[in-house]
Amino acid sequence: MTGTDGLALAIRGLRKSYGSQVALAGLDLSVPKGTVYGFLGPNGAGKTTTMRLLTGLIHPDAGSIELLGRPFGRRDRHRLFEVGALIESPAFYPFLSGRQNLRELAATGALVAPGRIEELLELTGLRDRAGDKVSTYSLGMKQRLGIAAALLSDPTLLLLDEPANGLDPAGMVAMRETLRHLAAIGKTVFVSSHLLGEMQQMADIVGIIAAGRLVREGPIQQLLNSEGTVRVRVAPDEVARATAALGAFGGPGGVTSSVAEPGWISVRATSDRAGEINRALAGAGIWATGLESGNDLEMLFLGLTGGEPVQGGEGTFFGMAGAGPGPNARGTGSVA
Amino acid sequence: MRLFLSGLRKLVRRQATWVTFGLLAGLLALIVVAVGATANRPGASSAERAAALSLVTFPGAYDAILSFILGLGGLFAVIYGAAVAGSEWTFGTLKNAVARGESRSRYTLLSFASIAVVIAVGLVAAFAIGVVAALVGANMAGTSTAGLTDAATLGRLPDQFARGWLAIIEEGALGFAIATLARSQLAGIGAGIGLYFGETFAGIFLPDIVKYLPFNVATASVATGAATGGGFGGGARIASVDANTAIVLVVLWLIGALAVAALFTERAEISG
Repeated sequence: MTGTDGLALAIRGLRKSYGSQVALAGLDLSVPKGTVYGFLGPNGAGKTTTMRLLTGLIHPDAGSIELLGRPFGRRDRHRLFEVGALIESPAFYPFLSGRQNLRELAATGALVAPGRIEELLELTGLRDRAGDKVSTYSLGMKQRLGIAAALLSDPTLLLLDEPANGLDPAGMVAMRETLRHLAAIGKTVFVSSHLLGEMQQMADIVGIIAAGRLVREGPIQQLLNSEGTVRVRVAPDEVARATAALGAFGGPGGVTSSVAEPGWISVRATSDRAGEINRALAGAGIWATGLESGNDLEMLFLGLTGGEPVQGGEGTFFGMAGAGPGPNARGTGSVA
Repeated sequence: MRLFLSGLRKLVRRQATWVTFGLLAGLLALIVVAVGATANRPGASSAERAAALSLVTFPGAYDAILSFILGLGGLFAVIYGAAVAGSEWTFGTLKNAVARGESRSRYTLLSFASIAVVIAVGLVAAFAIGVVAALVGANMAGTSTAGLTDAATLGRLPDQFARGWLAIIEEGALGFAIATLARSQLAGIGAGIGLYFGETFAGIFLPDIVKYLPFNVATASVATGAATGGGFGGGARIASVDANTAIVLVVLWLIGALAVAALFTERAEISG
């Protein structure tokens, strides 16, 4: 037995810098076989760099990668025969049709089974437009074609970088079902996304990175159970007093008020503490007009990453760093 | 083999292939037919008339046509090679192949091998169009086409084709390597054209060095018999290296350019 048995992907101490800018500062990840692993992090946290390293597009400065139980280094490109990947935006020859693009891509790397291209065009809903040039495709259609390309060799491990980009709601549901199905039949899906709600519905395990390091990893339910959120609504002019009164519950940075929804305060606390929070407010002479408790990946994500941009990164996740969870933050549990 | 055939299919469907070929063959046909049509115009001196008729009179027309193709074709090959190699970076399609576990150098070299085959086909097709155009021109000029079957000239053609093909693919390989280094289609084409004309310009000042440089040796390698790449359509180049030395240098430049392209692709960090 080794520490990476049962893992489809194991990353240990991975480091990568671009000049003076550190993209990965000793990343560790453990992705069990047969799971959907959600890879989360703010812009500039190192997600795409990790994806590039996993597909041999770039090479690490230090650290190790094991793909499907075997080391993956500069000379181990054959490991990728069992891997399908969609990295960043999908790239195709614009002068070829969708079908032709898949056919030419199938000429590289691992062999592709006869009939596989038609099967994937059907799966991704592109059959009717498969003969049209890719230059006429919408972003969503290109994304579907990118997913088809990643599945071309029926890979054991699937690496998808923001696969939901440009997909319409029906496409997102179909993609989620497809990825869940792949995991159910023993494939491993490693998917990065900014769509935390989508990830909450899809992933078995999440890894959250910030500033090139793993900050939390584990089964999604376990993480959410251990780090829930309670939201209370008070009169807008009482927000400051309420925030002070609840300071003891969330710890440093654990109590945030929403700019988009005046009066709403989020407290990082498990749902069984909702009553205590209400009592604390009452003790301070503040009456809550609403109270929600639940587990929310978005709150967990913001709590762990600070919701702030990484230095040299692409910007804040929500464009209002330090100002709370943003307009999309919402408790998902029952109303107390 | 599947990668090589894939490369060929992509080239056939690529607009740049047909535009490049169309320009070359179209210009050749237009010029030759126009020369035939105006050779006997009133007021032309006998020297002008003789020069014009030499382009449409066989067997000399064979050499003139080949000279045109090899001259202008060299510049087009640089652009074409750069367009194909650069597009892999510009479109991001190299990334897909690498992420599927394809060998980077194999992908690069087989991409070029398919370019070399397309150039060979284009060379023969352009020559055939040129011959037909010369026959039309000869007919318009009222010149005999009896030399069309001249055995000595026809016997020399395979050797000239082989040399010409090597020269053109060497020039194509330079464009290919430059675009690979630049990781860009546009930058590759621009730098390739700049190098093409820059070498000619440098030849004025440094002829002893420039005669060994890629475009000059390509021209010199096809300067056998009556066919001279620097004549009709080829621009004025110094060609002081003998043809057999030049062909060796062409092969060396070709290998060098491909080695640089393959090595760079092998070591490059691919992003975007």
